[in-house]
Amino acid sequence: MKKQNAFSIAQYIAILAVGIAGFNGTFAFAQEIPNRPEQLQFPPLKYEPPNPANYRVELKSGPVAYLVPDHELPLVNIHILVRTGDYLEPDNKAGLAGMTGHLLARGGTKSKTAEQMEERLAFLAANLDSSVGATSGDLNLNLLSKDLDEGLSILREVLAEPRFQDDKIALTKEQELQGIRQRNDESSAIEVRERGFLAFGEKFWANHHSTQQSIEGITRADLEAFHHAWFHPANFVVAVSGDFDRDQMLQKLETLFGKWPFQGGVPPAIPTNTEFAKPGVYIVNKEVNQGRVAMMLPGVKRDDPDYFPVAIMNDILGGGGFISHIMARVRSDEGLAYSAGSSFQGGVYYPLTFTAAFQSKSRTVPYAISIVMEEIKKMTETPVTEAELSTAKRSFIDSFPRVFATKSQIASRFADDEFTGRYTKTPDYWKNYRANIENVTDQDVLRVARRFLHPDQLAILIVGQKDEIMKGHPDHNVTLTSVQPNGVTELPLRDPLTMKPMVTKGKE
Amino acid sequence: MNTTNAFQRPTQSQRVGYCTRVFLALAVSSWTLALQAQQVPVIEKTLSNGMKLLMVQRKDEPNVAGGWVAHVGASNERPGITGTAHLFEHMMFKGTTTIGTKDPNEDGAIISQQENIRDEMRAEEAKLRQAYRRGDISDLTSPENMTPRWIELKKQFDELVARQRALMVKNEFDLVYKRAGGTEMNAFTSEDMTAYFVNVPANKLELWMWMESERLFHPVFREFYSERDVVFEERRMRTDSTPLGKFAEEFSSLFWQSTPYHWPVVGWPSDIPAISKKDADDFFAIYYAPQNLTAILVGDFDPTHAGQLAEKYFGRIPQGKQAPPDVITMEVKQEAEKRMNAEAETNPQVDILWHTAPFGHKDSYALDVLAQLLSDRTGRLYKGLVLGSQIATDVSAGQDARKWAGCFEVCGDVKDGHTPAELENGLYAELDKLKIAEVPPEELQKVKNNFAAHEFRRLSANRPILMHLIWNEGEGNWREINEAGKKIQAVTAADVKRVASLYLTKENRSVATYMRKASESASEQKDQATKEQK
Repeated sequence: MKKQNAFSIAQYIAILAVGIAGFNGTFAFAQEIPNRPEQLQFPPLKYEPPNPANYRVELKSGPVAYLVPDHELPLVNIHILVRTGDYLEPDNKAGLAGMTGHLLARGGTKSKTAEQMEERLAFLAANLDSSVGATSGDLNLNLLSKDLDEGLSILREVLAEPRFQDDKIALTKEQELQGIRQRNDESSAIEVRERGFLAFGEKFWANHHSTQQSIEGITRADLEAFHHAWFHPANFVVAVSGDFDRDQMLQKLETLFGKWPFQGGVPPAIPTNTEFAKPGVYIVNKEVNQGRVAMMLPGVKRDDPDYFPVAIMNDILGGGGFISHIMARVRSDEGLAYSAGSSFQGGVYYPLTFTAAFQSKSRTVPYAISIVMEEIKKMTETPVTEAELSTAKRSFIDSFPRVFATKSQIASRFADDEFTGRYTKTPDYWKNYRANIENVTDQDVLRVARRFLHPDQLAILIVGQKDEIMKGHPDHNVTLTSVQPNGVTELPLRDPLTMKPMVTKGKE
Repeated sequence: MNTTNAFQRPTQSQRVGYCTRVFLALAVSSWTLALQAQQVPVIEKTLSNGMKLLMVQRKDEPNVAGGWVAHVGASNERPGITGTAHLFEHMMFKGTTTIGTKDPNEDGAIISQQENIRDEMRAEEAKLRQAYRRGDISDLTSPENMTPRWIELKKQFDELVARQRALMVKNEFDLVYKRAGGTEMNAFTSEDMTAYFVNVPANKLELWMWMESERLFHPVFREFYSERDVVFEERRMRTDSTPLGKFAEEFSSLFWQSTPYHWPVVGWPSDIPAISKKDADDFFAIYYAPQNLTAILVGDFDPTHAGQLAEKYFGRIPQGKQAPPDVITMEVKQEAEKRMNAEAETNPQVDILWHTAPFGHKDSYALDVLAQLLSDRTGRLYKGLVLGSQIATDVSAGQDARKWAGCFEVCGDVKDGHTPAELENGLYAELDKLKIAEVPPEELQKVKNNFAAHEFRRLSANRPILMHLIWNEGEGNWREINEAGKKIQAVTAADVKRVASLYLTKENRSVATYMRKASESASEQKDQATKEQK
């Protein structure tokens, strides 16, 4: 196994070297500089993505690990993914998952106080971080390879025997509350939050935000129970890259995860009961001179058979930077926004959204919305040009090696695929990636545009000065009510401490 | 699923608010360990026209991170044209004589006609400014305030834009790179430099040479005026519509009195819409001449071959006629403490700045060490004020050594139930300890270890190496990437004590305190009253 692995890496390097050597050999310096870049000639770049099977190990102690040795620098990077997440929080304990994650690496361990542990890690210049997000937990340790054993022994205690020191719990709560108080300060924060409510519904677990009450109610017993429930080797997937010997590292990992002091549970499936908002314009009033706009439609999961055409379609419409239709019109043609584009990410566990977004001065918000709507509509009416399709495909295909640009990216990419089930379901995903892109036709793009892009279904969120935005701009015969006949709904700001909608003032 | 970012924010710029910036600065300059310092193997060449080329060969992935830095930033501007360096950064993506248009001659003719109309519009805009000064109008940007002549001219201008657009190949500069597998194309402008960068597949190095040399040799600044509007939106996004953007701008301007760091990189709101294409052309002729540029390549290429290609492509650009003028104005010595007491949509916080030493100054290394002693969860400020007296929930410190001058910053978030004044005094108390007693050896070693480890961490991929070289070269000397580490390891406890006492004094500081602005409803009433006054 080890030899095979080493061979494949050597082969990979050799292929690159050949490609470059060929390039040098065929170039003639005497050539004139051409007028256009198409007249330049390039040798093909031979590249095959790394094969996950070459790095994958099922540890006896439970986790699946991906090991990618690399001796360029005297550093080791260890990334542990944990099957846990915000979705596992009890109803009245919003914030518990995040706080558990935060305190693992910051609350001390059985044998060390938080201060002793942090001081030691700092002296070793070792970076240790822990967190729990929506659908996973993450621990990252980056340290000098000479300190590997000491680092691993600290990591073991952090994972298996965290202390959750009382003063650190109190401090974390205080810091959480500081964050909570700022929830309405940034218009971008308001936008992100309200997007979540419109896209997935008030009842969806991802919209159960922490409150002052839920944070204050979290106890050490809650943290310990959450930790014991999910932080168990059977729930871990591991990515290791850097300066180590593969066989030795396997032994070290077995020790790291062996003889776990408690039994954890198997987490239940992630709930998928999302509910998309009624079409219409939703506005949150905020005193800023630039309106933030997000235009959303129900989206896809990443394993949808149409996902590759969706990716290409979105790239042409708004995901592909300057040359995408939305950017070209809203920004370059009209100068209406600095940032404009669209995203059509596939969800791992449940469909996400199609979202077109931009920020424009209050008075031009309605006009810019009308332009984006036009571009969305056009995608469903006419096929994209052959040139556009080819550019999008070349971009995905020729930039593909960047997915595995570094050794730590290789390890983390494969660990993530393992964690999210992609490796089991489509082990050849990356091997076939470029062919799947290449196979997309203009008719596929038109078909998925028609499947997903329904302008009359758009939920349009605006955060900005309501009165100014409603006025529109004298140069453009467009208002919010003309672009979306379903009317404008004002969304009240939410009280940052309770997340309950605040009573709107009886203005106008 | 792809490396393309959905909400890519392509060309852009400027350092952000002060506290945020310190974190950025720390991300590039805090680190290390008593191991042997890791050298970055840079090959330096100077082309026949004076342009510099730096190369780092690295065979980790089949890719090249390519960039170049123009030794020009906002500090080379003057009042009236503030924001020009940054606007320029945007204009450099607009194409060349052959990239971006189907008919270069007609395109050029339309641009001249556009300029004639814009000259007339500028005369109208001068009238608007006069009306504003007299109090006849209250908003220079409101569409209702434009003069009838301006509106008529704008209509003519828009017709020319439409004609030009019919000839254009939209954003073709981006298109060419995208089709070739280029990624993460972007640029930034700071007070001291403007830098442009992209990653290309290893077999496309010559495309990079062609594209980058063409946009320097045959640039066409088309769509100048719509791009100016884009920049204004960028200002709204970063400065006007963020809770602290305007305050950070004001505080920075208060702090820097005489050096050209006094104005923001994005430019004053009055200047951005007034910059003319002629201003831009003049600026380009001086500051984008090859002797004022450094190209940098990191990745999988043969340096001999790359050097020859660089000479062929960049070497053809004629040397500039005029050397860029030196920046003469020094920061005057501050004689008294300055204060700004702000009410904003934010938790209470404190931000303190001191004038210190510029990039490469012999004291800047001890100041870096001092900043790191104060930073992070095991640093002095966190231990003293977050864990100890518990008057703060977060704290940070940083030394920002710029090309012409430097500053040291300390800031913190006030814990609920305490005041900015308490935290301010707490911060001074921690700093005073470092002025009185030398830092213990173990603590100093901890900090040096982190600087040393960073010497390795910064080398993990092509792009970060490129960005480090850009930054060091832009601030004044790429060699610092290999020399600063040694100088930091040589800093003694006595050095730290000396620089703390020398720079962190009362008369040398500027202090910003922030309190949360009163409730929404009160502010709305105030706004309403202001509107009625107008």
